Amino acid sequence: MDRTPSPSALAARRIETPVRAQLSRASALAVLAGLIWPLQAAAIAWAIAGWVGGDLDHTAPAAGLFLLGAVIRAALDWRAGGILFRAGDAVLGQQRAALIARELAARGPAPSAAMAALAAEKLPLLLPWITRYRPAMARARVLPFVHIAIAAVIAWPAALILAVAGPLIPVFMALIGMAAESASRRHLAEIGSLNALLMERLGALIDLRLLGAEARAGADFDARADNLRARTMAVLRVAFLSSTVLELFAAIGVALMAVYVGFTLLGVLNFGTWGREMSIAQGILLLLLAPDYFQPLRDLAAAWHDRAAALAVATELAEAEAAPRQPMLGAGAPADPLPGALRLQMRDAVAALPGGAGLALPDLDLGAGQSLAVTGESGAGKSTLLGVVSGLVPLQGGQVLVADRPLTDANADAWRARLAVMPQGLHLPDMTLREWLGPGDPAPALRRAHVEGVVARLPDGLQTRLGETGAGVSGGEARRLLLARTIHAGRELLIADEPTADLDPETAAQIIDSLRALQAQGHTLLIATHDPALIAAMDREVRL
Amino acid sequence: MTDLRLILNRILRAAPWQMAAGAGLALLVLIFGTALLGVSGWFITATGIAGLAGAGIAFDVFRPSASIRFFAMGRTAARYGERVFTHEAVLRALAALRGDLLRGLAGRPARQVDAMRSEAALTRITADVDALDGLVLRLMLPLAAGLVAHLLAALALWAIVGAPVACTVVAGYLPGTAFALIRLARRATAPAQQAEAATQALRRNLIAGLRDRAALIVAGRLPALEDALHQQDRAARAAATRLDRAERAARAILSLLPALAGALALLAGAWMIGQGQTGPAAAAIGFFVALGLGETLTALPRGLAELGRMRDAAARVAPLLRPTAALPKAAPAVEQGPVLRLSQPDLVLEAGQMAALTGPSGSGKTTLLWQIAGLLPPFAPIALWGVPVQDWPEDALRARVTLVPQRAALIAGTIAENLALSGEDDPARMAEALEAVGLTQALAPRGGLNTLLGEGGAGLSGGQARRLAVARAILRRPGLLLLDEPTEGLDDASADRMLSGLRSALPDAAILCAMHRHGDHPVFGRYVAFKMRHW
Repeated sequence: MDRTPSPSALAARRIETPVRAQLSRASALAVLAGLIWPLQAAAIAWAIAGWVGGDLDHTAPAAGLFLLGAVIRAALDWRAGGILFRAGDAVLGQQRAALIARELAARGPAPSAAMAALAAEKLPLLLPWITRYRPAMARARVLPFVHIAIAAVIAWPAALILAVAGPLIPVFMALIGMAAESASRRHLAEIGSLNALLMERLGALIDLRLLGAEARAGADFDARADNLRARTMAVLRVAFLSSTVLELFAAIGVALMAVYVGFTLLGVLNFGTWGREMSIAQGILLLLLAPDYFQPLRDLAAAWHDRAAALAVATELAEAEAAPRQPMLGAGAPADPLPGALRLQMRDAVAALPGGAGLALPDLDLGAGQSLAVTGESGAGKSTLLGVVSGLVPLQGGQVLVADRPLTDANADAWRARLAVMPQGLHLPDMTLREWLGPGDPAPALRRAHVEGVVARLPDGLQTRLGETGAGVSGGEARRLLLARTIHAGRELLIADEPTADLDPETAAQIIDSLRALQAQGHTLLIATHDPALIAAMDREVRL
Repeated sequence: MTDLRLILNRILRAAPWQMAAGAGLALLVLIFGTALLGVSGWFITATGIAGLAGAGIAFDVFRPSASIRFFAMGRTAARYGERVFTHEAVLRALAALRGDLLRGLAGRPARQVDAMRSEAALTRITADVDALDGLVLRLMLPLAAGLVAHLLAALALWAIVGAPVACTVVAGYLPGTAFALIRLARRATAPAQQAEAATQALRRNLIAGLRDRAALIVAGRLPALEDALHQQDRAARAAATRLDRAERAARAILSLLPALAGALALLAGAWMIGQGQTGPAAAAIGFFVALGLGETLTALPRGLAELGRMRDAAARVAPLLRPTAALPKAAPAVEQGPVLRLSQPDLVLEAGQMAALTGPSGSGKTTLLWQIAGLLPPFAPIALWGVPVQDWPEDALRARVTLVPQRAALIAGTIAENLALSGEDDPARMAEALEAVGLTQALAPRGGLNTLLGEGGAGLSGGQARRLAVARAILRRPGLLLLDEPTEGLDDASADRMLSGLRSALPDAAILCAMHRHGDHPVFGRYVAFKMRHW
């Protein structure tokens, strides 16, 4: 059973380490609960055997014992379930917090949406693995052997029936596992491709309408979905067949046991009972043990895909952890602005890129009220230079001097309290415009970025939720909103990354005007761009 | 609840035959399983009595052992059939539900449909449909099959053993099950909804935070973001904890019921033996059947715990499935007048003419094109062939007017499949259209019409994707063609080639292009410099 653990199993093991004690305790309780059944079965056997002997007095105490056993069992299971859920919840909380902290402090290569899906939706898949698979596994490792032992004491052929019907439990489980895993994978894959198909059609719905193709696309979707279903069912039919083997053996086990015991009681068969006669009570006990013998295996089969899902999550987590990251200086926390005159210098600076590579950057000097364009081919490192200046990208060598002192981990937050950044990417998040712009009255900033008109046109003004499509805001308008947000931060040094990229000339000119006006009001500007008009509007240019 | 009913109805209707077969087999599984235990219990007790009486040889072992074998095999076969049929039915239902959603949205206002294109909306809607998957398989089917199994078992016990045993088994199960399930439904709904809402909020805010990370760090807002995310995590987990408590309590109660029913059946059996109404072997059946019926309960708590989530999902999905009240419009009135007449800006476009609409971004070019295409209500009168745009029925309008939007969508599949969305299947015409937009050469080495594209048309550059969308529009042979920034992402030579190709491919069409580059191309008979200010 214990092969060399796969990397995913190792990752899963690491995840459960902090709660291992709880898991052992809960597993012990679950096994204990399982051990009560033979006692309950004995009570019943005693009562029914009493009926045959004409003694009805056993019934009431036996029924009481049977019920008491069930209550204790339920209580143990409740307790074990509680411990397991808390353990799973703790694991979920730890992993989620670690993931969020890690991604915020130092971004890895995975897309934001993938990271968010991992944190929000995939991590909870660890819970069923802990709450269902773990106790099922513990039971399957212990209880079947207890049942076989009890059966063996009464009659060895009974033990043999159980041992044969659940032949070589590990082989059995591997078989079930493979079948269940491929079945559930297939099922998930089917739903996944069906969803991808649907999302694509939904995304193209406007186009389909414009082409008058809505009905055709609907029919096409149905045809593709039907095709997908037929292929999935072909695989599922086989997968179900192999898991039916478990059901078959369980049913045969019970049937064989009933027939063997019946024939022995009749006296037709008389071997295997260690020279004694089998009593009715013993026969009934054996019959009651048989279905319970298979229960842990069935539970385990049912929980198998919980394990598969958890291992997939663990693997993804391990990959996210091992991914190369770009650490930043400071904590991104609020701080009092760094004292001293605003001045930025770079001397022989070499940026540290994720993965260990370095990028040499030009020396530069920027004083209060000046403006500087950083230019160069795309990919030359303009954004990296802006990152170094704002403490988002660490240095391998050289120095960045801010207000005449080296930029370090300790003063990065204070330095950043004097800057505002306008990033290149346009991502309008799903929040109100008001929240997104930040605290304070945004009206002056909106005016200076020439976007009051845009805001006035929005259905709910500042209370409009932007969303990823931008709620009807065009690309150029979104860029101007981004500028307004940067201005609204009210910082001395404005850093902008390609503020006029992909804009029509009129909008670009508006943005350039706003930037010049800002400089005239005493702001300092550091701008990465390849737009000639914008370069011309800056005091100086540094080429990468 | 009406929302859930609508969805349930739809799922059941998708594959009624398979669903019925699956339900019938699910019931058989329960009956055979219960019967297997009942007959076995009777057999052992009866053989024990016969053995004690020394009547072993006279005992008919053939029929009982044959029926034990039958129930054992029958249960296995029924279980396999049940799984195949229910999965078949559910897969059909899933496809039908998604197809309905697509068709339901197709009739919605353009703004609403456009809002669906965001990643957040798309993942939301697919998560909702996924949540509804379990409605039948995990909730309705086990509930119905379980109920019928109990009913049949009670009738059988009444006939074989007697009324007291039958009644005690029902009394052992029914009130407790009803109590546990109603309690669970009550307690699980709110936490299930809260957990889902908090999880979605966490997901949304994490995406937004990561994308805006640099600006947030510089603004010193990173710890605040982390705190907010932790709060959402705690809210989600707290709700999940409440949900687990409710589900676990229900499980605990349900796990006691087989023991309760078994104990009651045992007492009732003993009482009947004492009264001389039945023998020990028959009385034993009551206990074993009570025990066997425990299998009916195992699947219920999970399904019921998800009820809250399903209800929420149904509330969002069901309205989209209901057909919109389409405004019945008369056939287009007598056609006279120019192909397009705009009042703001003042523009008349006749067949065969081509005009460029220029103006800064945000001036409303796209909005105007959408209004002409009937996707948005017009600000100022717009007439097509002399008929106001809002009076055109959808079909007739689409047959004559085609708009290629800025972000034209392509689908996974071949180039031919993408072009076929226009309704034109003839490969020769497709090839002509590709030639007109200047795509033939680029696609030839990759398989021409059979070139395979990935999701959303992945595999083509931005300019190629745009040209493919224009080729698709050409195949519609519209009387009026509207193009939103058709040359975006094209170099001057390709843009020239496409604009000229467009003109010669559709010599009789009126063509209006919104553009901020190449607006001065010689194909355009006139330029409408445009600034729309309605606010």
